[in-house]
Amino acid sequence: MSEIIKNPRNGCALHGALKTVQEIKGAVPVIHANAGCGVINYFAGKASSGGSSRYSGYSVPGTAIQDRHVIFGGASRLREQIKNTIKVVNGDLYVILNSCESAMVGDDVDAMTREIVDQGEPVVDTLVAGFNGGEHYGYEHVLADILSSIDGVKKSEKNTDPKLVNIFGIIPGKDPYWQGNLEEIKRILEGFGLRVNTFFGPYGGVDDLVNAKNAALTIAFSKWGELPAEKLKEKYDIPVLLRPSLPVGAEQLRSLADSIAGSIDIDKDEVDKFLAKEEAYERDLLYRAREDIIENDLSATAVLVGDEEQVIRLGAFLTEVLGMEIYAAVITDLLKKDEEHKSDNIEFLKNIAGNIYITSDQKEIEDIIRSEKPEVIFGSSLEKKIADKFDIPIIETSYPVFEKLILNKASAGIKGEISFIEEYVTVAKKFKAEKKSKLLSYIKGEGRESSAETSQTVRNVRKLSLVTG
Amino acid sequence: MAEKIGKHIAIYGKGGIGKSTTTSNISAALAEAGYRVIQIGCDPKSDSTNTLRGNNYLPTVLDSLREGNKIHLEDISVKGFSGVLCIESGGPVPGVGCAGRGINAAVTLLQELHLFEEFKPDFVLYDVLGDVVCGGFAVPIRDGITDRAYVVSSSDFMALYAANNLFKAINKYAPSGGAKLGGVIANSMKPGYHREIVEDFVEKTGTSIAGYVNRSIDVQQSELYGKTVIEAKPKSAQADIYRELAKYIARNDDLVIPNPMGVAELKEWARTWGDRIYDIENGVVGLAEAI
Repeated sequence: MSEIIKNPRNGCALHGALKTVQEIKGAVPVIHANAGCGVINYFAGKASSGGSSRYSGYSVPGTAIQDRHVIFGGASRLREQIKNTIKVVNGDLYVILNSCESAMVGDDVDAMTREIVDQGEPVVDTLVAGFNGGEHYGYEHVLADILSSIDGVKKSEKNTDPKLVNIFGIIPGKDPYWQGNLEEIKRILEGFGLRVNTFFGPYGGVDDLVNAKNAALTIAFSKWGELPAEKLKEKYDIPVLLRPSLPVGAEQLRSLADSIAGSIDIDKDEVDKFLAKEEAYERDLLYRAREDIIENDLSATAVLVGDEEQVIRLGAFLTEVLGMEIYAAVITDLLKKDEEHKSDNIEFLKNIAGNIYITSDQKEIEDIIRSEKPEVIFGSSLEKKIADKFDIPIIETSYPVFEKLILNKASAGIKGEISFIEEYVTVAKKFKAEKKSKLLSYIKGEGRESSAETSQTVRNVRKLSLVTG
Repeated sequence: MAEKIGKHIAIYGKGGIGKSTTTSNISAALAEAGYRVIQIGCDPKSDSTNTLRGNNYLPTVLDSLREGNKIHLEDISVKGFSGVLCIESGGPVPGVGCAGRGINAAVTLLQELHLFEEFKPDFVLYDVLGDVVCGGFAVPIRDGITDRAYVVSSSDFMALYAANNLFKAINKYAPSGGAKLGGVIANSMKPGYHREIVEDFVEKTGTSIAGYVNRSIDVQQSELYGKTVIEAKPKSAQADIYRELAKYIARNDDLVIPNPMGVAELKEWARTWGDRIYDIENGVVGLAEAI
């Protein structure tokens, strides 16, 4: 029986694939769906932080299929759309995203793609019907399908570079800090003496997809990177390193370096030198923040809400570095009943949080927070309401984030660690200042008329006196 | 939905079993008796009404829809024998698109064009493609479009299997306002055990037989001339069989929700008949019959 999900924070497979393709420089998505399927993804993204710098929103080419295309088949409409797109949009790779309608009707998109490829155009297609899965599914499948077909449309010799690594698992847009995180992980891996195919953002692009076969290693930083990584292993015998999350803090950087060293040759001295620098930098800045961390009582009890990778990444840092106690971790990845991944991160999660929940239903998440009674929430803007209700601070770390523009700010690595501390201290200070201001206005006699407000203020006074000792 | 104008009857059955022939002869017989009749072919092959209109060209509803122009009733309908209004829904070429959605779109379009208000029929017959392969083909028995369905079947197992599938669809939709079953039209009846098989089948499924149509050379000949038996051989015994059938369908208001057999039950039932036919063909004499 179907159930109501309040404010689900995941789109469908088509949306995941669209988010993915539109962040690959040089790639042009062509949606084969009815009008609205692509735009709804645009609105969902627009409501949160940051847009896409390429073909997004109304500028995404699409077939906007109608009733007659369902009845008589939409393949010829798709042919027309691909040809028109190639005429007006310069792309290095055109990626046809097939939707539910196309899957139901059974349009022979493969034949259509072959026809255009035979004319010398770089076109690949993928089936990402919404009923197949959510946006995480869309991300992994569109990448796997592109990597399977790209050799046929962008021919190049395989020339393995022993220092080149592919990185997957960070879904553009789904992690609000994806761009900054990719830049940071690239910086770190380069610090280890490696070269990186990031695929997305200004440093990535179609060239990375073509060169993916030349890598010596693929690192999947979440379970959603597994499928494209395994595809490269199957086709080109590139070893795969599965990590539960991106690293945060110098200690996790060292652990990452060790596991890479277990797969490929890296220069140990170079890595040690780099890590020493990073550790010194981290120590310096954390020392600078130590009084703020202590004065603002950052080692509180918390509930974490976000995709699995984000929860593991943040949770490990909060417990190990800040000494926090995580009452509960809420995993918001959209999982299918028969979802199968090699990575089973349940052990990591058990080490992080007292209770683990899997849901993307706002109502359920609110109920969890209500029952766990944390002192702080790390989640999305959707948890703001319950945080306000319980008068506890919220730090927005997962999708969606409504009232911020996040471009290249990171939440992983060393830079991400520092900017996370900045954010946490800022929110905690602001929260404390607001309480103080409420207390002062109470003392001055403002707003005493309402008994409800008075009792709230009295509660706040009690809390504040606890915080300030 | 507004009150229906005329009786709306869906006729289903396995492909090639004689649905279109039977439906066209029923339409012709009803028209001959003075009724206003519409026959709508709901099959991408669009050959349901061929024998009513002498095989003349008739653009299908979906052909017109594909061209995207404004559609008028006169563009997609033609009057055939005795004024039967012939319409073909049409559909995509085989292997492309979604024929089920096509049937749905065509029926909706006919309603939007106020076909029934304009023509004021006494009877509307929907001749629907073979088995109920997907939701689209169940449209004529869903949503109150028709209130009764008949199924054409021979005594062949696969034809009865298709009939049983239709019973499943009726069983599903009837409680929420879909059509009920008027009966089984036993077609291609030959001497011997054929009637008995169909009779046993209707008994097992809680349905009834609307009429028996014998296998006849008259049907084949008339079709070759592009006509119904009613038109080509009006005085033949076969024409009278169709007239009787039409009369029964016109009057019958005894509609039922069938009890379709489960897959295993149907197979077991067929096996029993297989054994019985073997005995009959080989002259095996049962114990009781020997006395």
